[in-house]
Amino acid sequence: MRRSITTRLVLMFALGVLATLTLIGAALYGVLERELTRHQNDELNTNLQNMRYSIERFGDLEHWARLQVKMDTLTPADASVRFWVLSDDPRFLYGKGLDEMERVNQGEAGRGMLTLPLSGRTYRTRSLRLPPFQDRPAVRLIVGVDTAPFEHTLRTFLVALTLLTLGAVALVIGAGWWIARIGLRPLQRLSEQARALRPKTLSQRLHLEKLPVELEDLTTAFNGALGRLEEAYQQLEGFNADVAHELRTPLANLIGGTQVALSRPRSAGEFEDTLQSNLEELERLRSIVNDMLFLARADQGEAATGLAAADVAHEVEMTIEFFEPLLDEKGSSVAVEGELRAQATMNIALFRRALSNLLQNAIEHSPEGAKLVVTITQREGAIWIAVANPGKTIAAPHLPRLFDRFYRVDSSRHDAGETHGHGLGLAIVRAVAAMHGGATLASSEAGLTTIAFSIADRAAAAS
Amino acid sequence: MAPSNIDKPAMKLLIVEDEVKTAEYLQKGLTEQGCTVDVAHDGVDGRHLALVHDYDVIVLDAMLPGIDGFTLLRALRAVKQTPVIMLTARDSIEDRVRGLHDGADDYLVKPFSFLELLARLQALQRRGRAQEPTQLKIANLQIDLIARKAWRGAERIDLSAKEFALLATLARHQGEILSKTAIAELVWDMNFDSNTNVVEVAIKRLRAKVDNAFTPKLLHTIRGMGYVMEARDEGGPRGEPPP
Repeated sequence: MRRSITTRLVLMFALGVLATLTLIGAALYGVLERELTRHQNDELNTNLQNMRYSIERFGDLEHWARLQVKMDTLTPADASVRFWVLSDDPRFLYGKGLDEMERVNQGEAGRGMLTLPLSGRTYRTRSLRLPPFQDRPAVRLIVGVDTAPFEHTLRTFLVALTLLTLGAVALVIGAGWWIARIGLRPLQRLSEQARALRPKTLSQRLHLEKLPVELEDLTTAFNGALGRLEEAYQQLEGFNADVAHELRTPLANLIGGTQVALSRPRSAGEFEDTLQSNLEELERLRSIVNDMLFLARADQGEAATGLAAADVAHEVEMTIEFFEPLLDEKGSSVAVEGELRAQATMNIALFRRALSNLLQNAIEHSPEGAKLVVTITQREGAIWIAVANPGKTIAAPHLPRLFDRFYRVDSSRHDAGETHGHGLGLAIVRAVAAMHGGATLASSEAGLTTIAFSIADRAAAAS
Repeated sequence: MAPSNIDKPAMKLLIVEDEVKTAEYLQKGLTEQGCTVDVAHDGVDGRHLALVHDYDVIVLDAMLPGIDGFTLLRALRAVKQTPVIMLTARDSIEDRVRGLHDGADDYLVKPFSFLELLARLQALQRRGRAQEPTQLKIANLQIDLIARKAWRGAERIDLSAKEFALLATLARHQGEILSKTAIAELVWDMNFDSNTNVVEVAIKRLRAKVDNAFTPKLLHTIRGMGYVMEARDEGGPRGEPPP
């Protein structure tokens, strides 16, 4: 279920207020109850001590009669305070419903609660045992205070408190909703900005100035993603243009050649020529498509499989051997230097493919009789294979882009028909390096161009 | 197209391929190579034919209507061990592993070249055949595979190790067109499209030693496809390199 921030905020506000007010209410209620009880106890005590003083001083019946009148006087009309005297001598008894008292008040002297069965009124009581004096036997004096008014006060207080709390919660829900709406308005603005973004306006960014600091991180991250997206989009567009351009030439040759062949009656031999020429172009197309598929898989982060332990120098030698006919033709030679004992875990076919692309480039771009050098080095958990050839220095701005697809230092060179690749050779080198957890490097100065790739040195990483 | 060798027994093939144009050119090409070819356009027909008849090799597309190639292959393997070449559309490891696991003998990734398929078929056919000869003879070219020496008539030809390997490879596959990629793989163990003219240069140098000064010419260029070594009739088929 999707939850709205507003609902969540309002709910949390409401719960917070409810909890706070409930705690305060409970505390106030407790204080009030304790104060009311203390007040009742004071009243009980005053009446009890007063009466005890009167009873203890006299022991004759004459005074007892006066005492009864006094107790009558002290008992208010609403009977909120009442007195009882219990004794074994029937002459020294006082109070209404003494039979009930005998029944309910069997306990020892002390404090207690008492509900009179007939009237149903509840009294808070305090009783005291008084020793015999003159004619009077030992008696028990009981004073009771009606609790109904106190309970009524407490109940009223509780009801008021509950209503106030609920009212406050309702108020907070309303205010909270309004506050959340206002507080979240920057998000709305951000959404509107984001909604306005279009593929054609990829250079646009979200504006930070009017947004609160809390949204800064989000906006910055979003703008960063936009930047990367724009870059990728531009690369893709450029890439599409490059692919189209690369495919256009063989396609034009195919269509043109076939149209010419069909435009008039020809011998089988001439048609065969056309078909053979077509086949060459088609092979070229197939090779481009295959290489692009390979690069696409490498782009998706596919790691090299079919890994095997191999002697790097041996693989280098084997690859150089393949190029011997070409090297002989140009009178060039290749020397292998560096860590000749390096061992690596790699896909051997991919390694040879990458190195052969480098060697092909090096042979192509070096003068006749050139001395090429392949250097193997081990450093920082990687094995580097660098191919150096004398030749025209490549200007520094081109170097980092050499490994891009279809990138050509000199666009005119492509049409001269000298090269055998189709602009994907170094991109494949980079892909092979990436599939082996490695990288690529290019440098060119003073007539010496060095292009290198690396593969992860698993042995070094393990130790 | 070079004629196929007469000493090869005709192969009986089944092609299971739903793409009509592909099936059509495969049938045409393989029939012209002297094979007997049946075609099925979906998995159900293919399974029926494969189970009822005994083929030398089955060429099986992985993606098929009805039942797919892997299912068909499992059904076939439950009954018989006819060699199978799988055709997969994607060069994905899973398809490959799955195919080989289910009992495919070889696989080709689409788009594949006809020459490549031909080479794989011939390799499967060669499998289990009698031991390779130690001597090869084409017209007046004689090759001793043990001593690694070659003669044209009585004249000894001086070859480097790789040149001899190249010559022996071409001679072993006499009459078969070998693509540059296949040659790079067989001779130098370079198992990829190399986009280089190394093979052209190597062939040119070999031709200078083996063919230029002698008749008949044995090493022929089939433009756009590759090279073939064979003795042709005088004024033989086209496809010679321009002089």
